[in-house]
Amino acid sequence: METHKDVILRSESKLTKKDINKSMWIYYAGAELSNSYERLQSLVFCASMTPILKKLYSTDEELSEALKRHLVFFNTEGIFGSIIQGITIAMEEEKSLGEKIDSNAINGIKTGLMGPIAGMGDSIIWAALMPIIISIFLPFANNGSAIGGIMPLILYPLITILISYFLIHNGYTLGKKSVVTLMRTGSMKQIIFTANVIGLIMMGALSASYISLTTPLKFNFSGGTTIVIQEILDTIAPNLLSLATVFIIYGYIKKRGPQYTKILISIVLVSIITSVLGLF
Amino acid sequence: MSTLGISIFMGFYYWFSRLRLGYTFSSMLLQPVVIGVFVGLITENMVLAMQIGAALQLVYLGVTSTPGGNVPSDPALAGCIAIPLGVLANIEPQVAIAFAIPFGVLGVFVDQLRRTTNAIWVHMADDYATQANTKGIMRCAFIYPALMGWIIRFPVVFAIVYYGVEAVEKLMKIIPEWLMHSFEIMGGILPALGFAITLTVIGKNKLIPFFIIGFFAVAYLGLPTMAVAIIGTCIALLLNLFTLKDEVA
Repeated sequence: METHKDVILRSESKLTKKDINKSMWIYYAGAELSNSYERLQSLVFCASMTPILKKLYSTDEELSEALKRHLVFFNTEGIFGSIIQGITIAMEEEKSLGEKIDSNAINGIKTGLMGPIAGMGDSIIWAALMPIIISIFLPFANNGSAIGGIMPLILYPLITILISYFLIHNGYTLGKKSVVTLMRTGSMKQIIFTANVIGLIMMGALSASYISLTTPLKFNFSGGTTIVIQEILDTIAPNLLSLATVFIIYGYIKKRGPQYTKILISIVLVSIITSVLGLF
Repeated sequence: MSTLGISIFMGFYYWFSRLRLGYTFSSMLLQPVVIGVFVGLITENMVLAMQIGAALQLVYLGVTSTPGGNVPSDPALAGCIAIPLGVLANIEPQVAIAFAIPFGVLGVFVDQLRRTTNAIWVHMADDYATQANTKGIMRCAFIYPALMGWIIRFPVVFAIVYYGVEAVEKLMKIIPEWLMHSFEIMGGILPALGFAITLTVIGKNKLIPFFIIGFFAVAYLGLPTMAVAIIGTCIALLLNLFTLKDEVA
């Protein structure tokens, strides 16, 4: 993709690294802020393009045309989405330098990439990285230390901004090729797999420490023997009731979908009923 | 700080964190453990604030990881109300989180309201684009949704925290033993919901054994979380080394 001609075009470019960083920061700052049901992230994407477009297009007519182009429906994961920003900036630049790229081509790339990129971003940034960072520092919070909140507040943004920075510049310099590199040889799959494994092991560890469910049930027999249910359960395996609770809820979500409100109400009812009956 | 001061602070905190200024930064501000730090500072009871924050965090651990940005439940509203109320009324973390749950559900409707009103600004931006007015577009993307968000969010938290302390204190005095115990059970079960949600988001059925490994590393061996994190990372990396790339995931 990086042909000799591209390199020549680039050298005439008016864009600096600073402009691209500015674009990254605007998108990072507002990716969710102006999110609407109608067009989701389109507004912030357009806003993030303004420092670029203002430099590239000198007439109001061209600028207006370019701005409108980026107000169409757009939505992706905001950290990995930076790579789409980088690619879009590169395309806008080529277009402004006289390459024959029409609006549809630019929007085609954007809409084509936003789905797969969101899939990767969601599974790494949100489903794995975030709960892992929180859970590592959770024991501090549980002991009443502010570290449990301060460290995640620093680390999570820091790590994700670095990823954004890397991706937007990579997207800009490599263009469409950058996505191919990103997805190539299943390396992305490997990263997701690694993150998932770490995440699951952490969730298991936390489940054992933080779910507390024991039963006071016991049966007295005429011969004077008493059977304490919890003791029997503990001889099979420790924390068995906690483990069962997670899997009951997990099974329900898998089967019926994410109906959190229903589950919450059920937990409230179960707690009250079992409390009255003396089961737990 | 007085109850009035705390209520005002929490109202602003909820507004600012839900503003979502800074994509991943704001998403951390929304988390109960982080809210706990700020509540701890203004109430000067860091220990209880963090403990309630941690208990509440477990319930909402998986909620943020739901794709698409649709909030199934709002940890920030639950946290901004339950943590200060719990600290001021001095109640057990497990009981405090039982109070928090209804607010988490209420938060979903508040967010729907915001996203609906946000559509107004996109239409405004359409006009600015025609005029090539980039400053106008920036205003539509940042200033207007921020102002609207304040109108929607600040009053909810302010009112509930301000009037809630006394109500919670009275409630705690008249609450019967069986109901109190059911709150404790609830507090014990609720974290399971957080883990189950996270499990559905990251877990493919094939990967569930890793969850079991983590569980019994603590249940049998009593390993601290940090140790599990280190061992878990090594296991994950080694698996990458030994498995064929194509078979992975």
